[in-house]
Formats: sequence, C-alpha cells, structure tokens
Amino acid sequence: MWRFLAEAGAVFVKDLRTELRTRVAFNALGLFAITTLAAISYTIGPYRIAQADRPYLLSALLWIVIFFAAMAGLDRSFVKEEDSHTAALLRLSARPLVVWGGKLLFNFVVLELLMVILVPLYVVLMGFQVLSVGGLIWILLAGGYTLAVTTTIVAAIIARASSRGALFSVLSLPLLLPLLIFVIQGTRAVAEGSAQGAGSALRAVVSLGGVMTIVSIVLFPAVWNE
Amino acid sequence: MSSRRSRGEVLKWILFVWIGVIIWAAFFYAPAAAGFKGQSSRIVFFHVPIAWVATLAFLVSCVASIRYLRTRSMADDVRAEVASSLGLLFAILATVTGSIFARIMWGSYWNWDPRETSITFLLLIYAAYFALRAAVADPERRASLAAVYSILAFVTVPFLVFVVPRIYWSLHPDTIINAQAKIKMGSRMFEVLMGSLVGFSGLFVWLYTVACRIERIRRRRQQEVL
Repeated sequence: MWRFLAEAGAVFVKDLRTELRTRVAFNALGLFAITTLAAISYTIGPYRIAQADRPYLLSALLWIVIFFAAMAGLDRSFVKEEDSHTAALLRLSARPLVVWGGKLLFNFVVLELLMVILVPLYVVLMGFQVLSVGGLIWILLAGGYTLAVTTTIVAAIIARASSRGALFSVLSLPLLLPLLIFVIQGTRAVAEGSAQGAGSALRAVVSLGGVMTIVSIVLFPAVWNE
Repeated sequence: MSSRRSRGEVLKWILFVWIGVIIWAAFFYAPAAAGFKGQSSRIVFFHVPIAWVATLAFLVSCVASIRYLRTRSMADDVRAEVASSLGLLFAILATVTGSIFARIMWGSYWNWDPRETSITFLLLIYAAYFALRAAVADPERRASLAAVYSILAFVTVPFLVFVVPRIYWSLHPDTIINAQAKIKMGSRMFEVLMGSLVGFSGLFVWLYTVACRIERIRRRRQQEVL
C-alpha cells in the first residue's frame, strides 16, 4: 500500500512539474471558470433571482460552472502523454494502477484548487448564502473526487481514440449527469441548512465515487495496455 | 442444422402468437386500473416490458463487454454492440410510450420528471457509446475501449433507475418493485403484465439473435472488401 502511494505520488509530482512548466490545464480550467463566473455574475447577479429560488438555482449554476471548467482541462492528463510521446516510457516505468493513481490525484488536486478559488468568489459575487459551511466543504470534496475519478478513466479512453476533439465532453457529461443531480441537491440542502437532505445526497455521491473507483481500478489496465 | 432452423421457425411462431395474445389481453382481458384517466393505464402492459427489455439489453451489453475484455473475441464485441443498439432502441420506445402516458395523465408530453430525466440520461450515455465507436478506426482498439465504456455506462444504470427517482419527488406511478415491496395490482393485470414481460423478453432474444447474425455478415463482408 505504502509503495503504491509513493509511486502514485511520484507520477503526481511528475505531472505537477510538467503542468507548472506549461500551465495548460491550470489556464484552461481557471480562465474558463472565471470567464463563466463573470458572465453569470454580470447577467444574473445577486439580486435577479427570487429569494425562494436562490438555494436551488445558485447551487445548479455553481456546479455547472465547475463541471464545464473540468471538461475544459481534465482531458489533458492522458492526452499530453500521447501527444508528447511519453506514454510508452510511462508504461515501461510504472504499473498501470500507479499511473491511474497518480493521474487521479493530479486531477483531484487541480479540481480542488479550482474550487478553493472559485467557490468563495462565487459566494461573494452571487450573494450565495450557505447555512452549513462544513456540509458544503464535504459536498465539494466528495463531488470533486467523484468528478475526478470519472474524468480520469474517460481521459484515458479518449487518449487512445484517434479523433479526440469534443469526445471528452461527449463521453464524460452523460456519465456525470447523475453526479450533477446529487451534488446540486446536496449543495441546495447545505445552503438551506437541511442536514437530512445533505446526508442523503452525500451518501449518493460517495456511493457513486466508490463504485467508479472500483470499476476504474479493474478496467484501467485494459485501457492503458491497449 | 435444418432441425435447428425448424425449431427456430416454431419458436418464432410461438412468439408471434404469444405477443398477439398479450395485445388482445391488454385491451380485453385486463381491466382498466382505478385512479387513471380513461384507458391510459393499459399502456403499462407495453411501457414496463419495453423499459425492462432496455435494461436487459444494457445488462447483456455489459456482460458481453466483460467477456470481450477476458477473451478478446470479436464475437463478444458484436454481441455488446448489438445489445447496446437494441437497448438504445427500446429506451427510445420506453420514452415515447412514457410521453404518451404523460400527455394523457398530466397534460404534457414532457415534464422533466425524475424518471423522464433518468431515461434521457441513459439515452445520452448509450449515444455516447456509439460516438466512441465511431471515433476509433482500429477494430480491436475500438472493441476494447467500447467494452470499457459500456461497463462504465452500466454502472450508472442503478443510480439512474433507483437512486435519482427517489431523491426527487416524482409524478410517476409507483413502480412494480416499490419501497414497500408490495404488488399494488389486480390479479388479471398482473397476469397480463407478467405475460407481456415474457413476450417482450422473447422478442428481444429473437431480435438480438438476428441482429448479431447480420452484424457478423456485415463485418465479414467489410473485411473481404478491405
């Protein structure tokens, strides 16, 4: 276990170093999120939604920004290995599960960094009142993990396809729609301070994340060694 | 060979007669259910078996995909592709029959009810499966990537069919497998529904067998041309 974590950590550090050199994923995710937030804030702002609709609509808008920002940058994790012809070397130097673990960690960290910057900005600009901040953090962590684990396996699939273009969004979004429903429901519940609603949504997110993790662990070697 | 063919012919005629009897029984043997507008409840004898067959087809596709990843036999890839296409067809039919029922009962063809939403997501997921198949040129790589995606897609089915409709309030009538685990249906209606489930399952098996044969011939022809 410790050996796996150390090796996956090494793949994560390698990815972080290359990302800091080029900043392709950081720029894509960050700029997409900030531009969308600016557009939403300018067109809707904090006062154009009726008070009763605010928890639901603002939760939905927040997660739509996060999901589409993820679509803009998370496909890079495997595509860049194929584009720079380093995938073969990575296959020789690391076990498939280690590569998967490192890439998953990288995608998760990138998503959580995005949320750390985006969510406070969103709360301030949109006047989004959240009654249970602790609950929101749990939803963001669990939702971010499930989003990362699903996009990691899809990114591995599209890296092996010949025409990648919009394929990442086409394959990822339908798989992520149940997650989108659960996290919007959970965020609405924490905004309203409903512990029961937040708990049931969080359980659904964690279950989906757990199932996706197990399935990814089993299937990733078939994609990576193809 | 000829005895197998004649047995197939007999089974085909039994299926034809069975479906005919079910159609007759749905309109003349089973009573219209109380609490529904006019004769609208009779659609249950077609809508539920169609939705069941769609789920069965996606399960067959998942099992064939698992088998492909173990055996790397193109026959399993044919089975997975055919089952997915039939699943997609039956999911579209379930959506159409559900919409007709929604128009009669709730006055609108589409209400974004959780069950309508779930089936839309399923349609999108399996449409994405075919988008992936179209994006990979190499047949073996296409087969293995599609197999992985098919398994990932099937993992979301329980969340879409069982979890999403229970998180949101739904207009949809109580399902056969409900939270109380009780069958709320008259005996005649139940008999016809069970008969219809058997008939539609038989129809799926027949269509699946024929479609697999056609797909194998199409691929063989394609290889001969190349």
